[in-house]
Amino acid sequence: MNLFDYLRPASVSDAIAAWQPGAAYLGGGTNLVDLMKTGALQPGKVIDIARLPGLDRIESLPDGGTRIGALVKNSVLAGDPDFAAAFPMIAEALASGASGQLRNAATLGGNLMQRTRCVYFQDPHSACNRRESGNGCGALGGDTQNHAVLGWNDACIATNPSDLCVPLAALDAVVETQGPNGRRDIAFADFHRLPGDTPERETALEPGELILAVRLSSNAAASYQNSRYLKLRERTSFAFALVSAAAALQLKDGRITEARLAIGGVAAKPWRVPAAEALMLGQPPDTDLFRRAAAVALEDATPSGNNGYKIDLARRIAARSLALAAAGTPTRMPALPASVFGESAHV
Amino acid sequence: MDKAAATHLTGFTLNNAPVQVEARVGERLSQALRDRLGAKDVKIGCNAGDCGACTVLVDGAPVCACLMPVQQAAGRSVETLAGLAKADPDALRLKESFQHHQAAQCGICTPGMMVSAVALLRAVPEPDVAQVQDALGGVLCRCTGYRKIIDAVVGAHAADTLQESTQELGAPARRFDGLAKVEGRDLFGDDVAPDGALVVRVIRSPYPHARFTFGDLGSFEARPDVVAVLTATDVKGLNAFGVIPGFIDQPVFAVDTVLFRGEAVACVVGEADAMLAFDPADFPVIWEPLDALMTVPEALQGGAPLVHADRPGNIMCGGFVACGDADAALAGADVVVDGFYETSFVEHAYIEPEAGWAEVVDGRLHVQACTQATGMDRETLAQVLGMDRADIRILPTAVGGGFGSKIDVSVQPFLALAALKTGKPVRMCYTRVESMQSTTKRHPARIDIRVGAKADGTLTGLTFHGDFNTGSYASWGPTVANRVPVHASGPYFIRNYRAQSRAVHTHCPPSGAFRGFGVPQSAIAQETAFDVLADKLGMDPLEFRLKNALHDGQPTVCGQVFEQGVGIQACLEALKPAYDQAKQACATFNAENADVKRGVGIAGGWYGCGNTSLPNPSTIKAGLRADGTLVLHQGAMDIGQGSNTVIVQIFARAFGVPVADITVLGADTDITPDAGKTSASRQTFVSGNAARLAGQALRAQVLQQANASDTAEITLNGGHLHVVDADLAHAVDLSRLEADAEGYVLKAVETYDPPIAPLDENGQGIPYAQFGYAAHLCVAEIDLKLGRITPVSFTAAHDVGRAINPLLVEGQVQGGIAQGLGMALMEEFIPGRTENLHDYLIPTIGDVPPIETLILEIEDAHGPYGAKGLGEHVLIPTAPAIFNAVYDATKVRLMHAPATPARVRAALKEAGYV
Ligand SMILES: Cc1cc2nc3c(=O)[nH]c(=O)nc-3n(C[C@H](O)[C@H](O)[C@H](O)COP(=O)(O)OP(=O)(O)OC[C@H]3O[C@@H](n4cnc5c(N)ncnc54)[C@H](O)[C@@H]3O)c2cc1C
Ligand code: SF4
Ligand code: FES
Ligand code: FES
Repeated sequence: MNLFDYLRPASVSDAIAAWQPGAAYLGGGTNLVDLMKTGALQPGKVIDIARLPGLDRIESLPDGGTRIGALVKNSVLAGDPDFAAAFPMIAEALASGASGQLRNAATLGGNLMQRTRCVYFQDPHSACNRRESGNGCGALGGDTQNHAVLGWNDACIATNPSDLCVPLAALDAVVETQGPNGRRDIAFADFHRLPGDTPERETALEPGELILAVRLSSNAAASYQNSRYLKLRERTSFAFALVSAAAALQLKDGRITEARLAIGGVAAKPWRVPAAEALMLGQPPDTDLFRRAAAVALEDATPSGNNGYKIDLARRIAARSLALAAAGTPTRMPALPASVFGESAHV
Repeated sequence: MDKAAATHLTGFTLNNAPVQVEARVGERLSQALRDRLGAKDVKIGCNAGDCGACTVLVDGAPVCACLMPVQQAAGRSVETLAGLAKADPDALRLKESFQHHQAAQCGICTPGMMVSAVALLRAVPEPDVAQVQDALGGVLCRCTGYRKIIDAVVGAHAADTLQESTQELGAPARRFDGLAKVEGRDLFGDDVAPDGALVVRVIRSPYPHARFTFGDLGSFEARPDVVAVLTATDVKGLNAFGVIPGFIDQPVFAVDTVLFRGEAVACVVGEADAMLAFDPADFPVIWEPLDALMTVPEALQGGAPLVHADRPGNIMCGGFVACGDADAALAGADVVVDGFYETSFVEHAYIEPEAGWAEVVDGRLHVQACTQATGMDRETLAQVLGMDRADIRILPTAVGGGFGSKIDVSVQPFLALAALKTGKPVRMCYTRVESMQSTTKRHPARIDIRVGAKADGTLTGLTFHGDFNTGSYASWGPTVANRVPVHASGPYFIRNYRAQSRAVHTHCPPSGAFRGFGVPQSAIAQETAFDVLADKLGMDPLEFRLKNALHDGQPTVCGQVFEQGVGIQACLEALKPAYDQAKQACATFNAENADVKRGVGIAGGWYGCGNTSLPNPSTIKAGLRADGTLVLHQGAMDIGQGSNTVIVQIFARAFGVPVADITVLGADTDITPDAGKTSASRQTFVSGNAARLAGQALRAQVLQQANASDTAEITLNGGHLHVVDADLAHAVDLSRLEADAEGYVLKAVETYDPPIAPLDENGQGIPYAQFGYAAHLCVAEIDLKLGRITPVSFTAAHDVGRAINPLLVEGQVQGGIAQGLGMALMEEFIPGRTENLHDYLIPTIGDVPPIETLILEIEDAHGPYGAKGLGEHVLIPTAPAIFNAVYDATKVRLMHAPATPARVRAALKEAGYV
């Protein structure tokens, strides 16, 4: 760790003013400190934003929407009863991620910005276009169990690991930012980027731009009775998703009036396919329908290595999350959030 | 750019007292607490958020201190176990409850567990199981299997009603070393170095196979931040270590060529802060990567380059056992099942990485580190350093888990060389990545098995061929090769048998000792093949096993006949009620569920205690001082399994006084005789026997002083020794006896070495004086669509001969099952890929279902008070029981461990499941 400067600015504008190339914002540190240890990230300056005033609130907006400050801890957000009632699948996704200790430290902004878990990215000895453009991709042709089956190219096959981002994508969240050029809103669909020609740019943030908050509309809360996040992992708890899905439905008179589906663990961003959602509109909820929707969502999937099995699994997780959403949001958070197994299997 | 790290003065309260630290920018809170504020109760297992050992409360919320820059703690309240354990009411209850339930084995995870539990209890005074699993989900434990931790937290509110058991042999006594563990006072490998000790860092190969040359070491060593550099030229004795005579082949520092990723080529020694800032990439070494053999098929291919020039075909050694005519028996069998199985590298993943320190004291070398084998460490260092063993003292610390890997040396040679070269105290602690890259692993196996039976279900023949990836150096590979053919029959009567094993070199890390020495791998093949065979025969798997279970008087496949003590039938029978009930419950569940199914699986297992056909002595010493102090020199390393308790219980029984009367010393090579290594399930059996003999011998001396008979009762009361014989009390005045140099007026030193006999070329002979037996039942649920398996419950029947301490027996069983579960379902070490605890997954508190332990006591004539060893038996039947449960549910055979969703889906697909 060759860090030589640490600042704790008093305001958002001070923080942005303090930013310079090579600097990094520090939220809870759970991702940044780890990457600094492995050498994957070597910021010369750390700007500690954890105590910036005003960014740690969950607010109801006059238009019925909700605004979550970038510094709200993952555990606080998941545990807020009003928030969890309105956005149960966000709470479930949060509660299924990492561990209690980490959720107590991790912030909303940090979670959105967490880097890929690609082991070649984390190992400074491996080639990686994300760490350094033009360097090559160590994962390609290597072990690709955790890599993408959608939206990848030869430059980078990494996935976005966040659980939280999957329901945020499904619910069309908006990311509020402030940067050297002022404030702006970024639609969630545009926030994370596919590798394209610039695999080193994971998000739409410009250099020095800071996340202030995430907004959810009142319509996003309208599916609260029928939404679910499901996550397949290799162990029961405290593991990243192999694949995951967030499904939210609005039902009226036995028909689907709105359908939202985002799939995690399959691409560099949560994957949404409008055609898959459109296909469900006006239909009665039915497992066969959900299977067809999931198939459309995964239509373009191709393995980026020895990970073809993920396509099947993603399809099934997607279909199952839709079916569970249709069956109704559980009245309380499951003991093991987002688990594919029933309650009785775990205690 | 000036890269010298700046420091910041940060103030916060630590356990309610204000503190200030001058710490580097971005320094982890955990490090500032441990190194600058002396809070060694904050443990470090991974420095990456994966293990939770470093959990502290910041403003009341549990967080990983290893991921929080200390500057972020400014102005906050930080609480750690040592502070909480003094007065926090919830911590006080947990202390009691943790000890009562034996929720701490090695104790390295205990601070993290207890601190997390305090936060939970503050919010929810009487939590249920699910709440505990959620709150403690971020803390990993490799020893306990978590269930006792859950019990302890769920039961904490009632701590003041807990009754303490007696300590005598057979009682579920609390561990005698438990209080320090629950108060955060137990000191592990990285907790003992003096302030100011120099730090040693290892330069390791980033390639599995490479040639290398050093650049200008002289000018590197002249850098201001470098105190010394060590390479092979600093090794004055033999630049090799190992554990089996004839296979001492691993260099302390590689010369010219490295044979695995993570192999050491040099060390750099410097001041602690300088070494923290030191970037190993600055070390002058030039690598020339070479092609690497990473798998057994690659290594066995004709024309493959040799890993070691003197080991043709890359075959290090093999093992062989044969009796009867296996081929003829299989040809004549009514039903035959065969199969090819594969298992993966498994990492020990103890939560404590290798650590220790060393210094030179009056010309003698002192090395204090976490270890399973003090005597062997001393031998190795004597050889590497070219020193007299009398000039070396090995003082172990508490060991935060070992499971086999801490029998081999790790940090010790580096520490010794650095202390000798610098003349100063030196310390080191492996990072998690280093620990995973460079220490031994469980051997990946490739097994071909064929089993035949008559139509009535009688087993007639079995052939077995196993190739084991032994990695780059020998370590315990020869032991695995020897043990597997002896055990691959399982505890069954098979007249016609041929089993062969080979240990094959590759450019992988050395495979070595890991709970079971290859037997857990062979058991997967044999026990799951049995279920397919039973199925083909139309027999119930439990009936099939009972029909073929080995009995007293029947020869094993080595021709060894036990006239007593064979306990497999008892284990299998003990499972019967649970089995019948589980079958019923699964049938009901399956009738109601389409995509998830449940099945019941059974597997048996056995394990020979002690070395295979090799001498394996333990020596225990005890003495009485003139003031009536009774001292036991206990050198058997307690790595969490409980020797510090069990050996004392045995000695107390043999001598005939309560445990409380005994002062225990050790382990320390200067004061405790060699009790051998803690491996092969031998300590209770072998060192326990030595303790029994020492107790009996010392007792005889005391009785002789009083002219009392064998049945007399000895009491030690405030320094007065009384012998009551047939109602007549004699006071024995110890002060009139002459004391020896150690201050003992009476002393006994006794050695026990199990009776064994060599194996002939067909593996016939007496490999072990005793076996322990086990059978597990697992109910598992499988998601047919997603390929995910989750065990729902276990019932574990273990014949331990005599349960010296049933609480410790349960602890071993539950912890073993958790490791077996990990091996079956998730653990796969891939060099360069899964070198940390988030890419390499071990079971969490949510993964281990309820476990019922059934303790059976089929006494063994050789065991102390009938006891048999246990440490390794506990995980042998686990993985096959899980796989058999899946077979029961689906008729799909899992033949590749770990059975990850990808593999399970592939197997389901092949069997026709969509
Ligand atoms: C062991 C472990 C297991 C985990 N398991 C899971 C899991 O199962 N599911 C899951 O979803 N996540 C998981 N995580 C990831 C975890 O969720 C993230 O580490 C966490 O959310 C990051 O938040 P933070 O505040 O600590 O970010 P930091 O580490 O402080 O920052 C992360 C990145 O975001 C940037 N950043 C932070 N805040 C802002 C801001 N406001 N504006 C702009 N940039 C910002 C930082 O510069 C940095 O690059 C796991 C992490 C660990 C260590
Ligand atoms: S997949 Fe992406 S992150 Fe991983 S090595 Fe390739 S370029 Fe780097
Ligand atoms: S040491 Fe902090 S989580 Fe492992
Ligand atoms: S007791 Fe938990 S890791 Fe050893």
